[in-house]
Amino acid sequence: MNTRHAAILWVIAALGISMLPQLIGMPVLVVAIALLPIVWRLLAQFRNWKPMSIWLRVLATAFAVTALFLTYGQLLGRRIAVSMLLLMLSLKLLETFRIRDARIVASLSLFLCATQFLFHQGIPMIVYFIACLLSTLTALMYLQRQEAFANLRNIPETGRSLFSELGFGLRLMLLALPVGLALFLLFPRWVSPLWGVPEDALDARSGLSDSMTPGSIQSLYMDDSPAFRAAFEGPVPSRGELYWRGPVFWDFDGRRWRGNYLGRTIDATTKPDPGKAPFRYSVQMEPTEQSWLFALDYPALEPRGASLSMDYQLITRQPITQLRNYVMASDPDFVDTPQLGLTMRGAALELPVGFNPRTAKMVAGWRRETNSDAAIIRRALAHFNQEQFHYTLNPPLLNRNTIDEFLFDTRRGFCEHYASAFTVMMRMAGIPARIVTGYQGGWYSEMGSYVLVRQSDAHAWSEVWIRGTGWRRVDPTAAVAPERVERGAMSLAIPRRHILDFEWLRDVRNTLDLLQRGWNSWVIAFDSDRQSRLFTVFGWGIFDSAKLVIAMGVTLLVAGAAIFMIMPLLLRFRSSRKQDPLVRLWQKFITKLANAGLDPQPSMGPAEIAAMASAQLSYAADVIYRITELYTFCRYSPRNSGQVELKELIQDFNPSRTDEYARREP
Amino acid sequence: MTEITAHPSTSANDRLERLKTALDAVNQIVMGKDQQVKLAFSCLLARGHLLIEDLPGVGKTTLAHALATVIGVRYQRIQFTSDLLPADILGVSIYRRDQEKFEFHPGPIFAELVLADEINRATPKAQSALLEAMAEGQVTIEGKTHTLPQPFFVIATQNALDLVGTFPLPDSQLDRFLLSISLGFPEPDIERKLLTARDRLSLLRDTEPVIGPHDVLQLHQDCRQVHVSEALLDYLQALLAETRNNRWFETGLSPRAGIGLLHCCKAFAYLEGREFVVPEDVKAVFPGLSRHRMTVPHGMETSVDEQISGMLDQLAIP
Repeated sequence: MNTRHAAILWVIAALGISMLPQLIGMPVLVVAIALLPIVWRLLAQFRNWKPMSIWLRVLATAFAVTALFLTYGQLLGRRIAVSMLLLMLSLKLLETFRIRDARIVASLSLFLCATQFLFHQGIPMIVYFIACLLSTLTALMYLQRQEAFANLRNIPETGRSLFSELGFGLRLMLLALPVGLALFLLFPRWVSPLWGVPEDALDARSGLSDSMTPGSIQSLYMDDSPAFRAAFEGPVPSRGELYWRGPVFWDFDGRRWRGNYLGRTIDATTKPDPGKAPFRYSVQMEPTEQSWLFALDYPALEPRGASLSMDYQLITRQPITQLRNYVMASDPDFVDTPQLGLTMRGAALELPVGFNPRTAKMVAGWRRETNSDAAIIRRALAHFNQEQFHYTLNPPLLNRNTIDEFLFDTRRGFCEHYASAFTVMMRMAGIPARIVTGYQGGWYSEMGSYVLVRQSDAHAWSEVWIRGTGWRRVDPTAAVAPERVERGAMSLAIPRRHILDFEWLRDVRNTLDLLQRGWNSWVIAFDSDRQSRLFTVFGWGIFDSAKLVIAMGVTLLVAGAAIFMIMPLLLRFRSSRKQDPLVRLWQKFITKLANAGLDPQPSMGPAEIAAMASAQLSYAADVIYRITELYTFCRYSPRNSGQVELKELIQDFNPSRTDEYARREP
Repeated sequence: MTEITAHPSTSANDRLERLKTALDAVNQIVMGKDQQVKLAFSCLLARGHLLIEDLPGVGKTTLAHALATVIGVRYQRIQFTSDLLPADILGVSIYRRDQEKFEFHPGPIFAELVLADEINRATPKAQSALLEAMAEGQVTIEGKTHTLPQPFFVIATQNALDLVGTFPLPDSQLDRFLLSISLGFPEPDIERKLLTARDRLSLLRDTEPVIGPHDVLQLHQDCRQVHVSEALLDYLQALLAETRNNRWFETGLSPRAGIGLLHCCKAFAYLEGREFVVPEDVKAVFPGLSRHRMTVPHGMETSVDEQISGMLDQLAIP
């Protein structure tokens, strides 16, 4: 690369790389404004343009800030602050013609890179971070070199390839690694992060929400991102038992299901006994921006900051904006609400007036035939089973009477259609019923022994209240498509969701989730609590901030000393890399001699080595003399033929195999 | 000016053969000092001057005499004493009454091989007369320049410095000697031979010249042809740099010494019958080249020789 351009090109590259993830999610106008200064600066470099005048720069800045404000409609919030930083850094390029300015841009692009961790914390961020760090280090190195030769018109060529430059950056990063590790582990952490602002903490995520309309769960079916992972202490329940309970809906307006105010605010009066709960597991939950924790029926524990509502939803006081770990126990045999109160009963039977007359007529007919609630339930499920219902990802649109249209006209739908229709039918028959959403099934990781539940496992089912047994789960989807429950959502006879939706690819992704889980539990979930317990394995008790600071100081000192110890090794590594193949061959020979118990010193010349080696390994003396002779000849004489023979000799040279030489002797 | 040698013009191979014969002949006279003899020859072939530092009676003069004999050149010996004058070395102009003019009588320095015995016994004035002649290859007396014969080779001997009544050579003068060697006491079996075999002097008298001054000039050229690879130059430079880092010596080797080292290595490799220099040549020559140029840093309890071998053992060959 041309040395004159190298430094500024690397600075621009560093800035570009650190901008990348931000640019992808930004409005087009802002992206354009961010890219323009880069283009201008590149042109200026190659066409020798002069720096832009101060008025133009001020004008450009004013324009950029105005555009930013108009696009986002506000000037507060994390996303806009980071966008502002990005724009300003890009605009800084307009006046970056001196080393001092270039250094500021390079350093701040590292800061920009750090801000990206506010939005994403997944494993791919490591690659991004290393790329940023490496390009910035290389840029700074070029700038340093340019400054060192500032008095000269031309910077001397170093003769180093791009790879060796990057390798140097990598070595610097390796050297800093112990220090970084010490800071990560020991720098005192706040109990809640400074950036734990809930309203825009994370980018809009899909997940179960506080209402359900036809199509809302179906949209989740497209999303393969992990929802949570559960590691069971004992045996893992069968797939048909894995109903992860989430939001519960009571109120129906003909189209949309919503949670009941009472259901959400009144705590459960009777709770399952954790001691009797057969399933115990720990859950690592991805942030959702919502307040629901997920658990199997029926949750017996209330994790910190969460409480069990009357309809057995686990609701947290604060939305879940960070990775959350909790321990849970579940008792499937718990009898939920043996006595249904009047208010709740009313809520579980209420239907909007004047909707779905055809369904009402049909259910009224069933009711006339039998008085038994159980018979009605069986009848409804049989209806789904016997009539031509299809489980499909592309159900036709429904109009006003959603249930009527679904049951009698389209007969094609997703789990929420079935759950919704079933619940309405139950209410029409006078059986208290509600809808439960959550996840069903999951992928069991043999390697990690945990169940991975993805957003695509989202499901909706019904619960009916029957005197004596309380609320009972009824999954009408199972009547239509039993494989949904038995083999998982992906086993449905539905065409591929998107172009890359192959089963083997899903398996690979499921297997790779182990990495993500490890990253989550070792890096992301390393909070102040875990930090203070870091040293308990040594029996040193809980560390408070002061103790942590002391530990950090000691570790940094030790790490610093270690770096000084490693430095010569690294330098030697570097010098050996530059050697020509002949010297590498010779080193191999020396290593073989050393492995045979000899003590060749670096200060020994070939003849000395030969004398020593042949004296101690007399059976191989001929070969040793031939090798040293050839090496001496290749390295020091004007003619350097014989390297091929030397290579063969050294590769075959095996001083430990005395028998071979003895055999060769005669 | 010089006697015609028995072998006026010869091929390079022949010269090398006869050089080896000469080496063997000297080894016959100065027994058990192969390495020192080889170094002395290297010094001669590298067009340098030789300094022998040792106690009296270990064979310094014998070595010089043997060298002169086998090379077949004129040989002069100057015994340095405290009352030696420059004119005693260089020569004087004497007024010839019959011709009514001054006539220059050349001193003992006008010879191909000069042995300056016990150089540190003379006053600095006499010493510098010799050393200037060594550096310039000519002497200037009363405005007239007299060229010294070619080849011109000085062997100076010097007694151990702590003896009484000596004028130690200053460092700048010592730099004019390419190599310094020390003979040391002979090994027991060699000493037994010395005691029982023929007298060295009579042996010298029977020795025939093997090469001549013209051959020496040719040999100088041959030695210059010896190949020095980049790898070896790397080692040489590493060695020079190491002498200068104040860890081993008070001051490092000068660039002139570095050039001398290179020439010496070439000559040594030539003597070994090789047409390229290897690191072992450098290691063989280096102690002799650096010993008289170096001093141990203040406060160290080691000798220069120990420092040199220590340095050579520490420095990796690149």
